[in-house]
Amino acid sequence: MVALYCGGGLRPLMLSWSRDLPCIWHALHTSVVCFKNRVARVRVDKGNKPVTYEEAHAPHYIAHRKGWLSLHTGNLDGEDHAAELTVEDVFLRKFMLGTFPGCLADQLILKRWANQVEICALVLRQLPAHKFYFLVGYSETLLSHFYNCPVRLHLQTVPSKVVYKYM
Amino acid sequence: MASVASARWLRVSCGLCVPLTARRAGPCGRTPSSRFYSGSAAVPKDEGADTAGTEEVVIPKKKTWDKVAVLQALASTVHRDTTAAPYAFQDDPYLIPTSSVESHSFLLAKKSGENAAKFIINSYPKYFQKDIAEPHIPCLMPEYFEPQIEEISEAALQERIKLKKVKASVDIFDQLLQAGTTVSLETTNSLLDLLCYYGNQEPSTNYNFQQHEQTEELEEAEEGDNMKSKKKAGHQLGVTWRARNHAERIFALMPEKNAHSYCTMIRGMVKHRAHTQALSMYTELLNNRLRADVHTFNSLIEATALVVNAKFEEKWNNILDLLKQMVAQNVKPNLQTFNTILKCLRRFYAFGKLPALQTFREMKAIGIEPSLATYHHIIQLFYQHESPSKGSSLIIYDIMDEITGKTFSPKDPDDDMFFQSAMRVCSSLRDLELAYQVHGLLNTGDNRKFIGPDPRRNFYYSKFFSLLCLMEQIDVTLKWYKDLIPSVFFPHSQTLIDLLQALDVANRLEMIPQIWKDSKEYGHTFRSDLKEEILMLMARDQHPPERGSSADSRGLSAAGGIC
Repeated sequence: MVALYCGGGLRPLMLSWSRDLPCIWHALHTSVVCFKNRVARVRVDKGNKPVTYEEAHAPHYIAHRKGWLSLHTGNLDGEDHAAELTVEDVFLRKFMLGTFPGCLADQLILKRWANQVEICALVLRQLPAHKFYFLVGYSETLLSHFYNCPVRLHLQTVPSKVVYKYM
Repeated sequence: MASVASARWLRVSCGLCVPLTARRAGPCGRTPSSRFYSGSAAVPKDEGADTAGTEEVVIPKKKTWDKVAVLQALASTVHRDTTAAPYAFQDDPYLIPTSSVESHSFLLAKKSGENAAKFIINSYPKYFQKDIAEPHIPCLMPEYFEPQIEEISEAALQERIKLKKVKASVDIFDQLLQAGTTVSLETTNSLLDLLCYYGNQEPSTNYNFQQHEQTEELEEAEEGDNMKSKKKAGHQLGVTWRARNHAERIFALMPEKNAHSYCTMIRGMVKHRAHTQALSMYTELLNNRLRADVHTFNSLIEATALVVNAKFEEKWNNILDLLKQMVAQNVKPNLQTFNTILKCLRRFYAFGKLPALQTFREMKAIGIEPSLATYHHIIQLFYQHESPSKGSSLIIYDIMDEITGKTFSPKDPDDDMFFQSAMRVCSSLRDLELAYQVHGLLNTGDNRKFIGPDPRRNFYYSKFFSLLCLMEQIDVTLKWYKDLIPSVFFPHSQTLIDLLQALDVANRLEMIPQIWKDSKEYGHTFRSDLKEEILMLMARDQHPPERGSSADSRGLSAAGGIC
């Protein structure tokens, strides 16, 4: 048997009879399986993909370089309805994505204050202004009736998507 | 100390006469140090002088505050932001309107979006049933427009009346009568109410929009010839009372009629311009020894005044007869009675002046507080034709002296026409003091809400600003310009021309590039008279070469850019 000698500070050694024999190398990984984290981040590529500030930062930068997209007190200690609010958020984002076709420049910011919901959207100047007002009136009324609470929409227009960097 | 402070609060809110110097400062009287109302720099001194005298300070036992008193106090420290667009618009440069046409179209677009959403909600009410609001918010629930009860019964009739379905309710009523069941008096009366209110026609879906436009066009027509306006009104209002229509038929079929039935019929006839029939119905009511209520009397007064082919004195005597009958039947007149009388007196031209003053004195004697509509009718009566050479009356000064500092509450649908007519009179009299007084009245308390819809507000402010350009020093005018435009109204090209002429008179022609830049924003670049005025003034202005060349070249290049 080959003498067992550990590498010490060197890299982990592989155990085998001899290094010359053509045998199967049973590669033993001595660490726990740990996949790379892929959630909510844009992989660095050749540098031709424009990303906004929101997309460019990974989720561990929340509260450091980023803010939250949805602000409510449901996740605080002693507060409830966090799950219902999350489902509402999903619905609101899908609704706005469909109602303003091709106009949303970035993710919505949803703020909840007492019983009101304020949707802050960054929109591109794709539609003439009176069409924006039509859609604003329509979505505010429909969502207010749907959720039984005042829903307000605040728009901010930008000429094109605001690029932070190219990844 | 708190009571003295509260007494001071009450004194200020009663509205002291704002001193001249402070008022002249105009918008810049609103310094951060002045707390409650603008231009009140002199007020604390007066207060100190008064309370140091022999005034008794009464300390109340307990003072109850409104729930929102703190919020109101905080709100009183914040004044209007002169750089912001009206709150109904989204706060974004692309979405802020730059002309009155745009602002009108944006607001209409928003409203039509809301109507589209309401249409969807009311078509599919089963998806909008979630009711988690505590307390319940009724306006956020879907409305039901289809009647639920199907069988022929009185309850079905009542339901259709409540849903305002004219034709369906008349059909059910006829079917009930054919089946032989008697319909109760209240139900028949409510059916008559519905028919008389809508003039035997189905209420159309854009009923509200139509009414608003028609009343506006009527107003403009009234400014012109009386005869023309009558024809125009007859053409546009559309709904006339035809003989032998449903209401009359049902009225004839009723076995027993009470006072309410007669009153409804009279009011419906007057609303839809069947005046002689209304008066004959009234004689029928008297023959049956019934009493009419005050609203019916108001309609009858209107009917008497609008009957054609009668002289003014005759009509006035008829109105006086009606009033005497009202007293005999023990019916107390209300504010609407007097306002209706004054409105009808407007048609009598010069003859109506004396009766109007008598009516006004009577109203004060009875103790009814006049509303802004009363003053509006009086102004319209006395200043009907804008010819100051005829020796116009001074009644506007008396009116303003009386109502300065008062806050009004809405009591009459015509209340919002006062400020427009008052400013029109100020403008025709060329009196700036009076205009400042009217504007001060607009700013007291909650009177802002009486300025009326967009066209009226624009008229008021353009007349006010034109008067300022004409009569006020140029520095104050420019401060008002920054204050009012564009946050309150969008200027017409005529307003800008007036401002340019004021600059010309005051020899401040270096402001022209600034004015030109502003007028480009408001979309007036295509107005030829404005362009001509600017070019003429610029050509006249002799700048010294070293200072003025840059301004001159900028201005000329700007003007050249449009040619």
